[in-house]
Amino acid sequence: MKSGITKRIFMALAASSALFAAQPAFAQGDDEIVIGGSIPLTGVFAFAGVAIEAGIQDYLKIVNEEGGIDGRQVRLAYEDTGYQVDQSVAVFNKLTSQNPNIRLYYGDSTGFSRTINPELERRGDIMMAGASFATEINDPENFSNQFIAGPDYTEMYSILLEYIAQETPGAKLVFVNSDTEFGRDPIESSTARAQELGLEVVEQIITPPGAVDVSTEVLKLRRAQPDYTIFHGYVLAPLPEFMTQAKQLGLETKFMGTFWSMDSSLWADVGDAADGFMGVMPYRYYYDEEEAPMLERIRQMRPDYQATGYMQGFLTAMLMTESVKRTLEAGEELTADNMKKALNSIEDFDTGGIVGVPISVPGNTVPVGRIYQYDAAEQRMEAVSDWINVQE
Amino acid sequence: MRIATANETYLADEALLRTRTQWAWLGLFALVLVAAPFVLNNYWLYLACLVAINVASATGLNILTGYTGLVSLGQGAFMAVGAYTVAWLSQKTGMPFLVNILAGGLVAAFVGILVGIPSLRVKGLYLAIATIGASIILQFVFLNWSSVTGGARGLAVRPANFFGTSLTTYFQLYWAFVPITVLMVVGAANLFRTRIGRAFIAIRDRDISAEVLGIPLLRYKLMSFAVSSFYAGVAGGMWAYFFRAVGPESFTIVESIFFLAAIIVGGMGSILGGIVGATFMTLVPEILRFGVELASPYVSNAGALLSPIRTIAFGALIMLFLVFEPQGIAEIIQRVRRFFHLWPFKT
Amino acid sequence: MSDFLFFLEVSLAGLGSGALLSLTALAFVLIYKATRVINLAVSEILMMGGYFFFALAAGMSLSPWVALPLAIAGGGLIGAIVERGVIRRMLGESAISVFMVTVGLGSVLVGLVEFVWGTNPRTLPDFTGTAPVFIGQLYISRKIAIAFVVASLVIAIFLLLFRYWRGGVALRATATDQAAAYSCGINVPGVFSAAWIIGCATAAGAGILLGAIGGISPVMGAFGLSALVVVIVGGLDSVMGALVAGLLIGLVEAWAGTYLGGEYKLVSTFIILIVMLMVRPYGLFGTTEIERL
Repeated sequence: MKSGITKRIFMALAASSALFAAQPAFAQGDDEIVIGGSIPLTGVFAFAGVAIEAGIQDYLKIVNEEGGIDGRQVRLAYEDTGYQVDQSVAVFNKLTSQNPNIRLYYGDSTGFSRTINPELERRGDIMMAGASFATEINDPENFSNQFIAGPDYTEMYSILLEYIAQETPGAKLVFVNSDTEFGRDPIESSTARAQELGLEVVEQIITPPGAVDVSTEVLKLRRAQPDYTIFHGYVLAPLPEFMTQAKQLGLETKFMGTFWSMDSSLWADVGDAADGFMGVMPYRYYYDEEEAPMLERIRQMRPDYQATGYMQGFLTAMLMTESVKRTLEAGEELTADNMKKALNSIEDFDTGGIVGVPISVPGNTVPVGRIYQYDAAEQRMEAVSDWINVQE
Repeated sequence: MRIATANETYLADEALLRTRTQWAWLGLFALVLVAAPFVLNNYWLYLACLVAINVASATGLNILTGYTGLVSLGQGAFMAVGAYTVAWLSQKTGMPFLVNILAGGLVAAFVGILVGIPSLRVKGLYLAIATIGASIILQFVFLNWSSVTGGARGLAVRPANFFGTSLTTYFQLYWAFVPITVLMVVGAANLFRTRIGRAFIAIRDRDISAEVLGIPLLRYKLMSFAVSSFYAGVAGGMWAYFFRAVGPESFTIVESIFFLAAIIVGGMGSILGGIVGATFMTLVPEILRFGVELASPYVSNAGALLSPIRTIAFGALIMLFLVFEPQGIAEIIQRVRRFFHLWPFKT
Repeated sequence: MSDFLFFLEVSLAGLGSGALLSLTALAFVLIYKATRVINLAVSEILMMGGYFFFALAAGMSLSPWVALPLAIAGGGLIGAIVERGVIRRMLGESAISVFMVTVGLGSVLVGLVEFVWGTNPRTLPDFTGTAPVFIGQLYISRKIAIAFVVASLVIAIFLLLFRYWRGGVALRATATDQAAAYSCGINVPGVFSAAWIIGCATAAGAGILLGAIGGISPVMGAFGLSALVVVIVGGLDSVMGALVAGLLIGLVEAWAGTYLGGEYKLVSTFIILIVMLMVRPYGLFGTTEIERL
């Protein structure tokens, strides 16, 4: 029986070695710069992920057409995550194993930004930005290798609150937030901020995640009789139902939201109930008519409307490549520290109209934004304020 | 062909591994485990660590569901308890990670006993639903007990501390996780050679008969819950050191379904089943990832199809195994073994 | 406005959303009554109902009143396929195995929806009208009021059917004793199929109502979790229980959401579930047949 055993061992060895033989081997140019991406092409955040990917790709195309950065081409290597943190981490590990040239990364969620942060700190060779505007990430000390291509959620609230304080001093507010990490993010800091501005938060409504029936919440809203109602932590549902019922009840309140609820194509299906919805937007819309060479260019590349996520991806890619450019110009190595230093050196930077004012990146965010309002007849968001800078 | 299985002592008869073939396979497996981190790249190492964590947790659930017959959809929540405990301890104390992980297991075991209490009253489906209820209540606690759990934001986890060195790379973590998991799996296998383990099996096969045989149902059912959640807690602790961030959204009911699916696919009531099932279910999404990658030149927008395909495959695997192979992959392995044992008599 | 009026309005809203829970719970009950299967995929069939309606009314721009019965029939069709294709094969397997089959089925259905319609949330074309409903001074959301009326009507019809219609009696007979029913000439397999078809059609209908209120998305099945509490509290095999417990859970959710905060909605109902399982596992109206230990 001895020979039988050894034969079996041999077969098992062969089988197991076949398991490990599948080592991916990718040949690439050494001087290429790669942006890795854990991007949600499916899942609850797919609408944003698809647009973000398009935005990043388009900007990279522009950069590469103009000869790349210092002659080096930039490429996006990305995979779908389904908006799940463990998948995002898996994609990160896979991409960084396959592409040793990844120096920049795009992450898809707050959970991922937080989870991968220790790994980024350890590696020290990747600077990351992402779809999360979490207040937590705006911490140059602990999130030293990350940034947000826009204001964080607290800063978005500040922009809204400053606008409200200007329009209706002493206004009464209600915060409506989903019972998720996303939703609860800015509640505490913003309640304090509202008080500083002389606004009164008369009620805070938390809705369970995935809630569809909001009739009891609307009753609460009616009792509070606020001048403004600020939603956060949602994309679309249950906002339309809220607004429809509030209209039925004849409430005078104005409804507001934050960046991820601000896409005009989302609201197009909702119809009349959406009319008058306001919110903070850190970028221009695709169809904005004010002078903007970069928007012109985007409209040439893409004849159809591009969602807000597109602009986010576009600006993120712009800030990333600008940091790389500045690092290389200074003759320094592409480490996270150097790129971040280069990013923070960006001051009064012209985005070609993606943002209406020259921007700076003093810390981890770009703290500017503007209030837009939805016009149901035009199916467009119209600017109702100037660009508001909440840099401290 | 298998011959000469006559044993001379009871000890030999009770042994876990009885033939030289089994020893050879095991030795080979050990060799592979030792060699793997030197061969694998970072991505596969990451997956290997994840497999180790999931195997530990699935083995725990197998003790409860496969061996004691108590169905639980709370394994994810127990893992969360372990993960939170480790996260909290890593922030507040500088204790070595093994102590923290052990503490995570013990706290989870305690919670497991609490959750197991309804099993005195109900069993089967009702118990499964009770454990869903318990997970939702635990979820609420994680979200709202902010002073301890960090609320919606969760907790960051300090790197595992092993005699002064911090374990941060997947290579290092592999050496921490795999031995723990091996230890736990061997422990589980040995459990069923003891009175306690056999009592579990007796309860599964017929609880009333077990009681007549002098097995106190209450104590043993709770014990089973405790052991199972201890495994989940330890796995959760490893998970915490692995991802280094724990939040209320880290462990959902989907996670619990995943582990139940893993032991169904692997084979309930079989240690090998727990290992194979957890490995298989962890790797299937990744295999699909490569499948989609291969298909991407031919199918437009293949990237966006990956996640729906995974969701479908996950459900379809559960259904197909339950309908066509209810004993799971372990049974398929047994069939292959039998073939070789009977070869060349049976052709 | 006085606090009491506010309380009444909140309660009304709770009853309204409770009716929707009742309707979903009814789908669980019908299937469990005939086949002893807890069909966790009811949540996903609910979602399919919403998507069928969406595909017919928005995609093919049929009139909502044509799309409505078609979408409900679509739900029934899924029920028939699943019963004949999978559940029938699982006859005699342990309840847990069948339960897990439905869990797997749920995952497959979610994947299919993501595959076909993508993952973005959609809005259903409006078929309910928008004029607000007032009872005296009390306001109720129109859609919730409609849901309430529809759910009560459907449940009333089912209660009557079970009492007087042959098929209903056959179902009750099957639920009591399958072998006895079979020897009395009742087509028991037929009853199984019928229960699945009707149950899934009911779920699809509930999904359309739910979609009309909050839009549809692949994650809308989460609603089924609350309905699960309802069936346990009401009794797994009791139509009356589904109605009463649905309204009860709706009220509790509304009160908890209003007076404690939205984060307490789900947890309060699940605490009720655990207490119920400990005290009265067969529910308020269910048949007392749980093996006790």
